[in-house]
Amino acid sequence: MTVTKPAFLLFFWLTFVAAKAFADPLWQDELGWLKTMAFAAHQTDYSGTFVYQYGNHVESSRITHIAGRDGEHGRLESLDGVRREIIRDNDQVQSFLGDRKVKSEECPSGREFPVLLPGQLSLLNENYIIKPEAEGRVAGFHAHAVLLQPKDNLRYSHRMWAHSDSGLLLKAEVLDERGRVIEQYAFTQLTIGGNIDRSWIVPGKPVSASSAQKKAHSVRKAQESGAASGWQVDMLPAGFKKIAEVRRQLGSKKTGVIQIVYSDGLAGISVFIEAAEGEDDDHPGLSSQGALQVYSKVIDDHLVTVVGEVPPRTVMQIVDSLRYGGK
Amino acid sequence: MNQHISALMDGELFEDEADALFDKLKSDPDADEAWRTFHLISDALRQPDHIHVNVSSSLRERLQAEPTILAPRSRTRQNARWFALSAAASVLALTLVAWMSLQVGSEPAPQMAMQQTPSALRPASFSSRGGLNDYLMAHQEYSPSADVQGTASYMRTGSGQ
Repeated sequence: MTVTKPAFLLFFWLTFVAAKAFADPLWQDELGWLKTMAFAAHQTDYSGTFVYQYGNHVESSRITHIAGRDGEHGRLESLDGVRREIIRDNDQVQSFLGDRKVKSEECPSGREFPVLLPGQLSLLNENYIIKPEAEGRVAGFHAHAVLLQPKDNLRYSHRMWAHSDSGLLLKAEVLDERGRVIEQYAFTQLTIGGNIDRSWIVPGKPVSASSAQKKAHSVRKAQESGAASGWQVDMLPAGFKKIAEVRRQLGSKKTGVIQIVYSDGLAGISVFIEAAEGEDDDHPGLSSQGALQVYSKVIDDHLVTVVGEVPPRTVMQIVDSLRYGGK
Repeated sequence: MNQHISALMDGELFEDEADALFDKLKSDPDADEAWRTFHLISDALRQPDHIHVNVSSSLRERLQAEPTILAPRSRTRQNARWFALSAAASVLALTLVAWMSLQVGSEPAPQMAMQQTPSALRPASFSSRGGLNDYLMAHQEYSPSADVQGTASYMRTGSGQ
């Protein structure tokens, strides 16, 4: 007995080590793929047409993306119905409706190149089971597929197909807890690299180190001032963490809006809080579009609007437990 | 005779006397009746709350008088009852769903959010709301989904308008 016991322990230890050694590379692989996809989304030059579908609604858009020495440029143009266009030059975002420019603003987030951060990856790994799926073909390209399956019903499943060579996302599905596709996006035609039309890019100043620094400073300042807003969510859905809190201008509104952002590593939820005005009270309740939910409610004379790519119950849990805790 | 029974109940009889009395109790219905009555009296004296009333003989007589019916049970009544029960359950479920959607429309209680099934929710369509795009654009700047989708993540803004 005294001989077999250490042998047993050794056997268990070896099994454990072997399991870890076999499990880890796979885990690394899938997370590595997500990193590659995030990198490709911002560093690849491409141009193509994609289809976006939810419920009975289908629309196609043309997309062009160029990453150059002077930063990142993206252009999104709707091909159905009224022409809508969004042009993004680094942190400058312009929207057009028909031939009219409706908005031009600077992203206060300071995330010109959003990439999956290590903390975000571990959060993602806590909330989702990442599995490789059968390889496929999308828009004529060979694609690797991964499934991100949530560990609870507070978030949706995501299935993604990425170009095997570049890692560019070619197709994405969002599935509800019963496995039904509630929203999808897929390229139908795509050109990666090569000669891509750049005429639409407004020649602007490149992002200098000093301006980036200034920006980071202003973001930090905004976050500091926002952190004192006093609003808190008592029953934050499991797995979500606060990633930002800012006070900002929104659209044509005169007064500032507080934006608090929560993330589970993949899905995001924004909580907007502003002084309630008469005309804003007309649309309380829940509205949805594919995976995106919007819920608004008046709490203590403040209009609260929650936006997130999460199931209705998650959005509602946040609205229902939001309160002003004072400063 | 009654003295003997009383003595037996008090445990004052010898073994052979008791055996003889037991044989007599088995054969003589009057003695048996007296035995039962004595016990009833003693029970009543000790525990007035739990009087053991002897209903066995009268019940036995009435059971014997009851005619035995050999006929299949009527099924129609049973079916009607089942139908009524399931109809009642359906109405209850419908009322519950209707009530839940009303709750969603107005102000739901905090615990409701945890219990709701997505099918009970009837969210309004986006296009009915003005100024919503500003929120969607602002959300898109921070949402981690933009990390993987890049510029395409803006597809959700302004869609369906």
